[in-house]
Amino acid sequence: MRLIIFPFLIGACVRGNPQAADPAFTDTGGKIEVPGCGYSVTTREGAEAPKLSSPIGLLGADPTPRLVHLGFIGDPKTSIVAQWRTVDEETAVSRIRFAVGDDLPAEQLTQEADGLDFRYKATGKDIYRQHQAHLCGLTAGATYSYQVGSPGNFSPVYTFHTAPDIVANPDTETVFGVIGDARDGYDIWEQLVGLLRQRSPDLILFTGDAVTIGLVQNEWEEFFGRAEPLLARTPMVFAHGNHEVNAAPYYSQVALPGDQENFGFDYGHVHVTVANDTPADISAIAGAYRTAMIDDFERSRSATWKVLMHHQPIWSSATAHGSSMFLQEHWMPVIDQYAIDLVLAGHDHDFEMSNPLRATAVQATNATGTVYAVVGGAGAELYGIDEDLFHSAYAESTYSASTLRATKNLLELEAFRPDGSSIADTDPDARFTKTK
Amino acid sequence: MIRFVLALWLLGSRVAVADDYQAASKLAGDPATVPAAIVAFEAIGDARPTTRWTDNAWSEAGRLAERIGELERARHAYEQVLALTDDAVLRQRARATLARLGGARWDAVRREHVGWVAESMRGDPRAALTALEKLATEQPDYPDRANLWLAIARGWELDGDGERALELLRAAIAKTTGRDQAQLGFAFARIATRGGELDAATAVLDQLAAAPDADRAAIANLREHVETAARRAWIRRGMWFAVAILGGLAAFVLRRETGSWRTTARRLIRPPSEAVFLIPVAGVMVAVAMTGNPVVARALLLILGAGVIVAWISGALFEAHRVRHGQIGARRASAQAVLVIGAIGSVTYLAIDRDRLLDLVEETVEHGPSAD
Repeated sequence: MRLIIFPFLIGACVRGNPQAADPAFTDTGGKIEVPGCGYSVTTREGAEAPKLSSPIGLLGADPTPRLVHLGFIGDPKTSIVAQWRTVDEETAVSRIRFAVGDDLPAEQLTQEADGLDFRYKATGKDIYRQHQAHLCGLTAGATYSYQVGSPGNFSPVYTFHTAPDIVANPDTETVFGVIGDARDGYDIWEQLVGLLRQRSPDLILFTGDAVTIGLVQNEWEEFFGRAEPLLARTPMVFAHGNHEVNAAPYYSQVALPGDQENFGFDYGHVHVTVANDTPADISAIAGAYRTAMIDDFERSRSATWKVLMHHQPIWSSATAHGSSMFLQEHWMPVIDQYAIDLVLAGHDHDFEMSNPLRATAVQATNATGTVYAVVGGAGAELYGIDEDLFHSAYAESTYSASTLRATKNLLELEAFRPDGSSIADTDPDARFTKTK
Repeated sequence: MIRFVLALWLLGSRVAVADDYQAASKLAGDPATVPAAIVAFEAIGDARPTTRWTDNAWSEAGRLAERIGELERARHAYEQVLALTDDAVLRQRARATLARLGGARWDAVRREHVGWVAESMRGDPRAALTALEKLATEQPDYPDRANLWLAIARGWELDGDGERALELLRAAIAKTTGRDQAQLGFAFARIATRGGELDAATAVLDQLAAAPDADRAAIANLREHVETAARRAWIRRGMWFAVAILGGLAAFVLRRETGSWRTTARRLIRPPSEAVFLIPVAGVMVAVAMTGNPVVARALLLILGAGVIVAWISGALFEAHRVRHGQIGARRASAQAVLVIGAIGSVTYLAIDRDRLLDLVEETVEHGPSAD
């Protein structure tokens, strides 16, 4: 369809004056071991190889850090990755100052470490630079204060905490923020970020489609810029959405475990498996990506709670996309086999909770079935709802953000509308609660 | 012996508390037994000596009390968490919740805030937005006042009254400081940019930039948006001018070729072969487009609609020329084709200069099509 309007558009572009391409920039990606962390950072095609920073590196015209956000590649109990950009794109110094403690003043951040940086392509000829600082060997369940930047140009001091050690502290409770599909609805996104921040989550699970087109850097600026008050304090884990289009700006700006597409991690009593259901090669869904999912499910057999996060809903009542028959065929048998407690998806812009399901049979309780939630209400235009579908326990065409609380006895998902009202107050079926 | 008995008693009481905690958790899982769960958790929290479940029990009691709307009880529970726990995360969460709940004096205001915002999203928003304005004016010290003003402004903008949104935000910015002011100022700049009030957006950004702790990066980003909007506004005006000129030129030439306005009208009523050919093609294309991205479909509808009109007028011009002069020369045909392309190009730009479609098209031209 877009091809039809191409001929009318030549000469109508108003791109402005992008900076000239840097001949020294090579976009073939690369890999570097992160000292002291036991893992590596790999950049993809569209980005250059990452390089370790030096405190005497080049400072650009305005090295003020911006778009600070957290992620992790290693064990969230003992590691964190701070990511940021600077106002200029030239500054090549990436430094983090930190110390154990809550809301410490900058002068008490006595430990320092160098990070790394790399550049990546987005739209046009523009080249952007991403900074990362990796902290490893941290204490589980501890609170740290930190700031990032370069000497003389550090960010405000932010605070984060590592994941709890459930062996030492078995009664621990974790709270995840769960949200997806912000694309092009950044006012709502900002509103929901504020709502999540008020609930002080440990981690944000994002079900994909942060932006309309993953190649457009301006949109990423909006996405991260509006959420900085939350994301500079709380790490975010992404599932790849179809609108991210496997683009270099996506993989460059989000530090994630493994290959950034299919991975798993433990956080408190929950094991979260993340899968990419929109790979560049769609056959991978039934092949390599399914195998990766099975491997992760196998590794997490003993987890108290098992959650799968991906983008396109296996079960949905929305009028736009609806249930994915393809994923029902290839992923649902595996989900049933490993008795996954809860599956989180987005793609359909609404809030939905399924009945407990095993294959296509509705179960009497969620003790024997998996519940599929759709949490795609982070700002993209809302979709309508098909009523009375057998799999649906609750569906509402509304913007929303959810919290997923987990203790060793309880797993509970509750969604909130932008005004702060709980959707479960309308209908208790909208709340997922599972106890052990 | 005494030590052994004491150890046995302690072990027994811990097992009992663990069982109580699990039983309370079960009660919390059922909406009907949430009040009983709160009582059970409070009992565990109150029991002395404290155990490792004490702080968690108060946290659970607070969470459940908030859920059923007993805010004072929730506040008390979270205060107990702060008093008893050394778990930094639990403390942080309790502090955040207490900040969200605010003092008891704001409970009624908060309920009204949430209630009217919910109302503004359901039906006709005007009454709800007016009530919210009244609430914001009467409660200038309300801790969540920035979000209240933002909800009002966004509501009016969505209702098509961007001017009122800007007017209210301007007044709210003048009354606030610090982060609240920045948040409201950024919202003002965004709404003003969307509404074409670019000078107003720039003025507010200048005002925010003068603050010592200004978020320079965010301001620079918003200035870029304003510059892009200004550039596109100029192009848009140029395109409208071109459409007007070409339309006028077509009317003038048609009048000259036909000799009177009456004949011009008659000529235009009869569809030329170009239009007869294009209308079904356009219909099929629009029907197909409707099954895909609605933003692209709307633009295509506009473009093809305008294309049919242009083809109709162009066909009428050719027909009138042929009737009057017997044949159409190559120069005449070429000149008209160029003008038709100009008209279609202008209309196409105007059609895609909305819903961020221009950005989408730019990226598609540069990088190829993406997924829906």
